[in-house]
Amino acid sequence: MGNEAGSVSTQVEADPERPSNFHLQTDNAWSGLVPVGRQVLRALPLSLLVLAVAICLNFALPRLAPGDPIDFLIPAEQANKITYEQRMELASSYGLQGSTGEQFVRYLGNLAKGDLGTSTRYGAPVSELLADRLPWTLLLVGTSVFLSTLIGAALGFRSAWRRGSASDVRTLTGVMVLDSFPPFFVALLLVLLFSVTLKLLPVFGALPGSEAEGLEFAIEVARRAILPIAALTLSGLGSAFLVARSSAVTELGEDYVTMAAAKGLDGAGVRRHARRNALVPVWTVGMLNVGALFGGAAPVETVFAYPGLGRLIYESVLSRDYPVLQGAFLLIAAGVIAANLIAELVYPYLDPRVRRPGTAGS
Amino acid sequence: MSATNRVRLAAGIAGAALIATVAPPATAQQEQPQPSKITVAYKAWENNLTPFTLTMGGLPTSHDLTNLVYDTLFWSQVKEDPEPWLAERADPSPDRRSWTVKLRPDVKWHDGMPFTAEDVKFTFEKMKNTTGGRYSHHVWEYPVFESAEVIDPLNVKLNFRDAAPTFKILPGGDLPMVPKHIWEPIGNPVTSTSTPSIGTGPYKLVEFVNGQRYRLEANTEYFKGKPKVDQIDVPIVTDAAAAFAALQTGQVDTVDRTVPPELYDQLSNQPGIRVVQSTRMESVHLHFNNTKDPLKDPVLRKGITLAIDNQALVDTVLLGHGRPGRDGWTHPDSPWADPDGKHEFDVARANRQLDEANYRRGEDGIRRSPAGQPLQFNITVAANEPQHQRAAQLISQQVEAIGVKMTVEAIDPATLRQRRGNLNYDSFITNLESHAHADPDALSFFFHSPVPNAPSAGAFGAYANPQFDQLVDSARRQIDNGERKRLLVEAQRIFAREAPALVLFYPDGNYAFRPSAYNGWVADTGHGILTKRSFIPGYEDERADAVSAGDSQSSPPWAAIGVVLGLAVVGGGLFVASQNRKRETYEAEEA
Repeated sequence: MGNEAGSVSTQVEADPERPSNFHLQTDNAWSGLVPVGRQVLRALPLSLLVLAVAICLNFALPRLAPGDPIDFLIPAEQANKITYEQRMELASSYGLQGSTGEQFVRYLGNLAKGDLGTSTRYGAPVSELLADRLPWTLLLVGTSVFLSTLIGAALGFRSAWRRGSASDVRTLTGVMVLDSFPPFFVALLLVLLFSVTLKLLPVFGALPGSEAEGLEFAIEVARRAILPIAALTLSGLGSAFLVARSSAVTELGEDYVTMAAAKGLDGAGVRRHARRNALVPVWTVGMLNVGALFGGAAPVETVFAYPGLGRLIYESVLSRDYPVLQGAFLLIAAGVIAANLIAELVYPYLDPRVRRPGTAGS
Repeated sequence: MSATNRVRLAAGIAGAALIATVAPPATAQQEQPQPSKITVAYKAWENNLTPFTLTMGGLPTSHDLTNLVYDTLFWSQVKEDPEPWLAERADPSPDRRSWTVKLRPDVKWHDGMPFTAEDVKFTFEKMKNTTGGRYSHHVWEYPVFESAEVIDPLNVKLNFRDAAPTFKILPGGDLPMVPKHIWEPIGNPVTSTSTPSIGTGPYKLVEFVNGQRYRLEANTEYFKGKPKVDQIDVPIVTDAAAAFAALQTGQVDTVDRTVPPELYDQLSNQPGIRVVQSTRMESVHLHFNNTKDPLKDPVLRKGITLAIDNQALVDTVLLGHGRPGRDGWTHPDSPWADPDGKHEFDVARANRQLDEANYRRGEDGIRRSPAGQPLQFNITVAANEPQHQRAAQLISQQVEAIGVKMTVEAIDPATLRQRRGNLNYDSFITNLESHAHADPDALSFFFHSPVPNAPSAGAFGAYANPQFDQLVDSARRQIDNGERKRLLVEAQRIFAREAPALVLFYPDGNYAFRPSAYNGWVADTGHGILTKRSFIPGYEDERADAVSAGDSQSSPPWAAIGVVLGLAVVGGGLFVASQNRKRETYEAEEA
């Protein structure tokens, strides 16, 4: 997608006047937009195709790994005693009996009915498990993707304006050091500092005791979210920072910037134009992260005992819980596809060069 | 908004985000735990805690909570003569194939219905018809249950296919009784995670949030007396470091897992925390592939185990917090253990015996089997078990002394499970809890030759020795306790001689708690401290003795290092933010 945006921009001949005029043209420009509906219609078949491929892969991937879920339903002391028939009986409790082909047909049939199956590890409907975990993941990963993109981009742009200065080098080094810490390590450090040593914040969990209600409940949930969000934000800062910095540095080298400066536009004005153009890749990276959001953040969720999707997926991989893995992968695939679709639909608003009917779809 | 202002706003938000992490929270103090409520960090989500839906397959879970909600006829299975619990007594027929169980008259289910002989009959029959789950094997295999006759509401006769002399231990001490009126209409109990968890136990499950926590409330009408703690909050904390950090901060009052060796000194020296010992009889062991050439030769296996220094493993892997394993498998605290059992560590003897059996050293120093195969093997371990990996590394160094090369291979646990079943390994390391060592049937569970065509025949090495089979089989049917013990001791000696597997060590069960929240913990051998005996009257003299915290050792440095690094991270972030703010001023001037 980033490439597509790049190729579009190279097709448009540089017009040094245009960027500075855009904010004046805005109202007229909307009329030149491809209607959103038509754009969705154009992108939808591809998205659906990708989804269909994902559905097949979701079924195949867990089964390609060695081991199977039935192993995990058998206590150790029974393992070398259980017969083939007993295994099959157990498998049928979870709709996993029959050949792989039969299972696939059943899987597609159930999927069409909106039935994601029953978890072998948790014994509960997969849709219920995913619905339980999704809000927590959205709170945790959503907030941190938003914060790390915002903070990373702000720092990145500032570094770009001061490229080569001591400040740029310091920020760059700082962010790179932070970025190279694995998230769970940052998480453990935060726990040691803010929970164990300073005793300011709870160590783990998402929910307070059930006594808390209303505002108190919201505050308690927020307090429990601060450390995991901080851990994820700190360790996610790097990518947004680097993209924002390099993209702004590139823009600063463009002719229109030189021209604007030569025409006497002040520093702030030049940067405003450059920033607007530099935002497109940042937006792309941000939206890719939003897609990844549905996968959760297993290491940090584990440290904070946070009931997110990442932890669910990790545990399901360990126990080869096919139904949960299928459901969770489907959710991730749908999330990534939706995020890409949204990113594509928003490009014209971000980058007027993509707006013109003639160039938008090319 | 001008560009500078926008950047200023962004920097402000960045700063605020960092500052928010250090700002005192709105409700700063944790509520002090009331004496009637405790919080226990639990390591895994166990669905709705019913005996059917509890998952105890291949995951590191426990049934401690289920045992607080449900009761067994006797308690517990690690004793030679378990204490009558739901049963007042159980009398066998002369051939021990039938047991007449007399129930306590004063027992009620949590929903107020009386507990009767019908429930006992139903439990055995339902378990018999259920494949999978933690408990059903007690009914369809050890021993094989055939039928039940209700004599009157308080007396029930249970019939087994073969003599079941240890009925009071198994299934009596391990099979939880379930209510007929709840489970009768349920077709497949294994997936019935919305069925209410109604037991007879000292605690009722009153609330649970999927994957996050349980809340238990005292069953004030419990037949053994009102439980001493009114409410137990049980958050699920999957990460051990997080769970013990929460104990240190007081967010939880105890952790239902053993103290990791590296945290032991720190926790036992921390004011407000006590560490007690209560073994779960767990063990970590090395299994050989007893069907594969040349490892199917007992002389070679014994040679390898002779070269393994168990004490060194305890010292290095457990930092001394455990006991070296014994060659005869059974846990030294089990009533069925060979009193003379020990581990033989003798490199010279190993070399001599291998020489005599014609395992000659090659030019590379590695021995060859009489058929010419080099003695090069893998030790396969689960990648998520660091203790097993460390043990495997030490073993691979130790066996170099006898000219055997063992390479450590760490793989995903599910893959290991599959390869174990298919006998696709040379050797592997795994662990088991009390069930594996305390039960009189344990040697038969794990090391009786596998049933023909069992899909997972190799799960424990597929050892097959007719003499051993005969001993453990007759032990299962043996009526006389003394004679059963003699048979089991003899089986342990064969095991020690032929080394189909080697227990590397038995970790100490060290449990940490905050005595200010609750101090009545009982060391219930085989079950740790989170057990019904800790909460009901009558077991005060079995309280866990605190491990001496007198010798103050230097605090482990990792905490200090962590804090310093943490400060560096946050300090660095603040520095970056402040630099940017400075730049902003400069930039504003410049502009």
